[in-house]
Amino acid sequence: MILKIAWRNIYRNKKRSLITITSIFAALFLIILMRALQFGFYDKLIETVVESYAGYVEVHADGFWDNQNLDNSMEVDQSLINDIKSIEGVDNIVQRLQTFSLISMGNKTKGGVINGVNISDEQKITDWNKKMISGTFKIKKNEIIIGKGIAEYFDIKENDTLILYGQGYRGMMAAGKYPVKGVIDLKNPNLNKLGVFMNIETARNYVSSDEISTHIIVDKKQYYDEEKIANDLTQVLSKDYEIMTWKETLPEIEQTITADSAGGVIMAFILYIIVVFGMFGTVLMMTEERKYEFGVLISIGMSRIRLFGIILIETIILSMIGVFIAILITYPITYYYNLNPIDMATLMGEGANDMIEEMGFSPLMPMSIEWDIPLTHALVIFIFSLLISIYPAIKISKLNPVKSMKL
Amino acid sequence: MIETKNLSKIYNPGKFEVKAVNNISALFKEGEFTSVVGPSGSGKTTFLNCVGGLDQPTSGEVIISGENITKLSGSKIINYRLNNIGFVFQAYNLIPVLSAKENIEMIMLLQGVDENNRISRTNELLNQVGLYEMRNRRPSQLSGGQQQRVAVARALASKPKFILADEPTANLDSKSTSNLLDIMSQLNEAENITFIFSTHDQRVIDRARRVVTLEDGKIVNDNKK
Repeated sequence: MILKIAWRNIYRNKKRSLITITSIFAALFLIILMRALQFGFYDKLIETVVESYAGYVEVHADGFWDNQNLDNSMEVDQSLINDIKSIEGVDNIVQRLQTFSLISMGNKTKGGVINGVNISDEQKITDWNKKMISGTFKIKKNEIIIGKGIAEYFDIKENDTLILYGQGYRGMMAAGKYPVKGVIDLKNPNLNKLGVFMNIETARNYVSSDEISTHIIVDKKQYYDEEKIANDLTQVLSKDYEIMTWKETLPEIEQTITADSAGGVIMAFILYIIVVFGMFGTVLMMTEERKYEFGVLISIGMSRIRLFGIILIETIILSMIGVFIAILITYPITYYYNLNPIDMATLMGEGANDMIEEMGFSPLMPMSIEWDIPLTHALVIFIFSLLISIYPAIKISKLNPVKSMKL
Repeated sequence: MIETKNLSKIYNPGKFEVKAVNNISALFKEGEFTSVVGPSGSGKTTFLNCVGGLDQPTSGEVIISGENITKLSGSKIINYRLNNIGFVFQAYNLIPVLSAKENIEMIMLLQGVDENNRISRTNELLNQVGLYEMRNRRPSQLSGGQQQRVAVARALASKPKFILADEPTANLDSKSTSNLLDIMSQLNEAENITFIFSTHDQRVIDRARRVVTLEDGKIVNDNKK
């Protein structure tokens, strides 16, 4: 009966209920789409940056990250690989040997980062083979691939030879001549200007060591939490190793997301204020208009708690209808734009594609379809409904039935 | 039995105080059909409100069947009203979003009566007030007289010992008034329910077996027919 009274009261003042529901719907519609676009962008950003170079989780020899030289490298044996693979959520792992080097051709020299990689394994984690703008990713021993920026700097053509010169393992000198078999565009200006890729055996040979690696890149299975994987690895691996997630190896990405997300939260907060005042206005009117009725109900024997229950249910129903409609309408939209990401380059016009990629971002902005976005905001609206109901609760608790029936 | 002992209700005590009910001691026995009459402002409604536990008297006591209800507060007095006193108001005061049937049934629902008993009692009451055919109509779809009959049925739903009716015929035409009074008299005689009315209406006064006249919050005449 209480539910029936509450529902009919909502229906009693259709226009007011409609306005309240519409305001909740409109605000939540905007909040959900805005956050879906933001989180979709973050996912894409992480995917672009993390999956194109760094891994979700990296394992190094302890102390390597703070002092990145070959003397802090590690020897990777099968038991270490098995330990890592035993962790739930770990998908693929690859080893890399990374070192700094001078790159020279003719009378030009510049700094670069040598990346010794396992060509076939690497394709399970990164999409480098798809980013080749010339040549092949399947290079052989003593061949290299260079980033687009290096190719432009040296004006290199395929099969030109670069001289690499740097520090080898344990004080050895590293030097060698390597023919360029391909140019890669990593969609990141810094990586393009620095990246030189070669087979990991070639790299080991270059630094005069047959065993060492500097990185073990750990790829996670979809929907697994990298933080949990990192924690589990900490339990399994000895103190000789340091385990870092992309949030630690690429803090600027995390900072970008945090800063951008804060803007979204502020925007959502502004919309919430509008919703809350709309809802409060309705509840205020509802309470004031029905003081007489409340007086009657208390007179004939309805307890104040039951009466408050009616108002609470009315407020919750009103807000949840708005929430439900917003979720119902936004889900197909987010789903569509998840499958068909918004192409910012098309929206922004000619030249935008290069500009966005120069910034290290993908011009494609999908919307996130994570359920926690609408559910979180539905929960916020629900909590606001409860908080707003405090007002009628106070009014009802203090209501004098005789006075209220004199209105 | 309802007994009031030195019952007083003073508004704005100490400043511009108004003694709406001034030291009234009275006794209403079971099965009485009483009209409380008097000019406007004589304290009829306030007296009824204090007797029904809707208003807290400034001093004095209201004892119903041996229980001093002035000492009850909060949910206890609401619960007492629900189970012992039926109210009929001048403006009918039905719940606008509920049908006639639901308005009556709601009282029993609050009492925790099971569904079968609720339905049978509701139908019985609707038949008693002659509105069974209109049971599904909402108050806005009923005339004033019909609404007041539903209000009487609602007041009876909890099987109260007393019904307090504040100017129940004030908004009704002659035919509706006569009809309503017939129903009330019948219930009074058949079920021995005590009725206390506050009224200006001579038609009600004529039907009452006891007429208590108030002036300035005091009983000035208590006439049993």
